[in-house]
Amino acid sequence: MNPEETKEFEQKIHAFVGRENGPPKKGKDAVNEPMIRQWAEVMGDESPVYTDKETAKNTTKGGIIAPPSMLQAWSMEGYPMAGSPAVDVQRSLHNVFDENGFTGVLGTNTSTEFFRDLKPGDEVTYHTVIESISEQKSTARGIGYFIETVTQFTDQNGERVGKQVFRVLKFIPADAPAEASSVADDSPAVPTRIAAPRGHDNGWWWEAADKGKVLIQRCKSCQTLRHPPRPMCGECQSVEWDSIESTLDGEIFSFTVLHYPKVPGYDYPLCCAVISLAEGTRIVANVVGIDTEEVKIGMKVKGKVEQVDEKTMLPQFYPVAGGQ
Amino acid sequence: MTANVKDKAAIVGIANTEFSKNSGRSELQLAAEAVAGALEDAGLKPSDVDGMTTFTMDNTDEIELARAVGIGDLSFYSRVPHGGGAATGLIHQAAMAVASGMAETIVCYRSLNGRSGHRYSSGVSGNLLTADAIHWGWYMPYGLVTPASWVAMYTQRYMHLTNCTHDSLFEVAHTMREYAATNPAALFYDQRFDRAEYDAQKKIVDPFRLYDCCLESDGASAVIITTTERAKDLRQPGVVVKGVGQAAAANMESMTSFYRDEIAAIPSMDIAASKAYEQSGLTPDDIDAAVIYDAFTPIVLWQLESWGFCKHGEAHDFVMDGALRPGGRLPTNTHGGQLSEAYIHGVNGIVEAARLVRKTSVNQPDKEVNHVLVTSGVGVPTGGALLGSMDTL
Amino acid sequence: MSIDTRDFSNVAVGDTLPPREVPITSALIVGGALASRDFTTVHHDKKAAQKGGLPDIFMNILTSNGLMGSYVTNWAGPDSCTKKIDLKLGAPNLPGFIMTLTGEVKAIDEASGTVDIEVLGENNVWGMHMQGTVRVQLPKGAEA
Ligand SMILES: [Zn+2]
Repeated sequence: MNPEETKEFEQKIHAFVGRENGPPKKGKDAVNEPMIRQWAEVMGDESPVYTDKETAKNTTKGGIIAPPSMLQAWSMEGYPMAGSPAVDVQRSLHNVFDENGFTGVLGTNTSTEFFRDLKPGDEVTYHTVIESISEQKSTARGIGYFIETVTQFTDQNGERVGKQVFRVLKFIPADAPAEASSVADDSPAVPTRIAAPRGHDNGWWWEAADKGKVLIQRCKSCQTLRHPPRPMCGECQSVEWDSIESTLDGEIFSFTVLHYPKVPGYDYPLCCAVISLAEGTRIVANVVGIDTEEVKIGMKVKGKVEQVDEKTMLPQFYPVAGGQ
Repeated sequence: MTANVKDKAAIVGIANTEFSKNSGRSELQLAAEAVAGALEDAGLKPSDVDGMTTFTMDNTDEIELARAVGIGDLSFYSRVPHGGGAATGLIHQAAMAVASGMAETIVCYRSLNGRSGHRYSSGVSGNLLTADAIHWGWYMPYGLVTPASWVAMYTQRYMHLTNCTHDSLFEVAHTMREYAATNPAALFYDQRFDRAEYDAQKKIVDPFRLYDCCLESDGASAVIITTTERAKDLRQPGVVVKGVGQAAAANMESMTSFYRDEIAAIPSMDIAASKAYEQSGLTPDDIDAAVIYDAFTPIVLWQLESWGFCKHGEAHDFVMDGALRPGGRLPTNTHGGQLSEAYIHGVNGIVEAARLVRKTSVNQPDKEVNHVLVTSGVGVPTGGALLGSMDTL
Repeated sequence: MSIDTRDFSNVAVGDTLPPREVPITSALIVGGALASRDFTTVHHDKKAAQKGGLPDIFMNILTSNGLMGSYVTNWAGPDSCTKKIDLKLGAPNLPGFIMTLTGEVKAIDEASGTVDIEVLGENNVWGMHMQGTVRVQLPKGAEA
């Protein structure tokens, strides 16, 4: 869209702000024990106030109540929405977005306030208003707008029982949703760590790690050790080399603890350290088996090669008891 | 041997596009707008240009850009590697080309949709098998995949060995933000924060919280460099290149030089600084203001040490004295830096350094500014340039 | 299960709730959708979910709200009173994932007797599914 088209589009969507989605509407069922019990079963609600009449009587609630988080459920349209979603004001607004390429939709936030507990027999009426539409935002999903709707819930006496703010993002999908077909029949695998690419100069090191060993490259001509591996000795320019196996006795030279962003396949907080090995070379690896807050420069550590996920063998270093 | 570039070349035109989170146009268009703006600023025609230089990382091809802007025959083109380490490398290339006569008028540019397009904070992925990917392979399996995490490794060591604390990291972040707050072009214009807000931000990697890390933004910056002779006749006062250094110190890896005897230092910048001082005949005392690459707060501290404004390990005290503030010893990043103006890989910093010499920064210090330092990104091979007014010729 | 209600005076900022692991199954996703009367196709029809770019059906927002609510009320006890649930949604929950719920008391308000618990639901594949704050009112001095 050029700036003029954007302006025109924004005028169209902003015309929806303040409009009610429809007149106040009564939920299809009064609050009732069977629906409460089914909800509690699925959600793992253990509180007797939802399902056990006798015990509930003896609590301050004085009897069965509905789980508060169930509030919105009393307003749901039910099965008809599977076949033909209601054509309401909110749907028309979404259509304007869809026609302009903002086909993606994502619920991003809900904020629900509860003014009183609902009990069997209560009748819930709901009334939704399109509260606001944000300015254009650049999000991780793509360019889009946040739409906020506010629903007021009242009871049979017209008293307010709850309020819910619902925020959705309508966006232009960054990638076409074509990838799905390639994974159509598999649930996504649990991700593993990013593997090191293996080439001529480093493949041998990772193959040894797969077998549980950490090797250190050694110049055959002048015996200098080097890590990470490279094809020529910087001291004597020899290309002849062999290797020794590290004892993995080490000391933390520096470290950091990673919190954000969380890359799939890794557990956070995640400690990465530069470790000085007893042999004299350094290696970067994880420090584990210790609260990340306790890690210190100078700490003595001992490594072992471990399987860290389905596909990955890596040296992991543990604090040495009594070390430092 | 000292390179013979002093006073040979001058920046005569500068321009930025607007900065945003979503430019809504191609990187080629952003680059073309910045270059056309810099030519206009200089009072030059596109046909005056005969050389171009940019980052290897830039997606905009020189000849595509030349054709878009209407630049004619080119006799010099080059690119500088290593991400933000290339920033003042553009001045380095242009000054050499001008000094040697390989070209007369060079466009230096950088254009990126760094927020709406590829975001560097998403880290490396290792999907291609190249020598560089093999290098990253020593870190990715452990989760060390983002620029913040690499810089953090040096920072922890630096804080362990010196008296640097979050106080000086905050001082850097806060100074940049205060400058941005009064710079209408900055993404953080009129948006201030205090220490409590800084401390309350989410942890990224220890010891960094969000405000220790630079922006990600869309935009482009360009500068035009020509001979000092020609600069005398142009629309704007020239900004003379007094010296420019570039260096990759021994035992270097891109961002992960963890195998040197000590890593709480940036030896590449030490070398670049000594070369630039040597060429220019200047000393740290001659430098009145600076634009120091600030992808993360602590890297400003290390560069102050490399350029001799304080001793190694003493930058904490230097900045806590208010040195970077408007009335301080070395007003720094008066545009708000990459922490708070925009992240255009340091080239928006070259534009600001030129403004400081021209005395046209929106936050121009009260004092006389004759010489300004501008630097490139560190952790990678890097560099820096010393700029001066035409009066210094 | 805790039948007793936690007393306001026994709760302090920094207290953590015992983590709860929720295996995400098709049964849970469909069961949650039906219990909340949400018949949107992507919550029960895999093909519809795939058309939307995800490999399988995914949990609806009402179920996420319900799980966050039950996690806190199971801890707080039957006499507690939930006042507010603020929920921010992240990556979807799909069958085969395991979501771990953790919670920490972030604030207490003496006047209203309410406690704010920050809850995080992270799945083992895509990370943060939901995070938010549940405000719950607890009785004061019930034992005294
Ligand atoms: Zn050798």
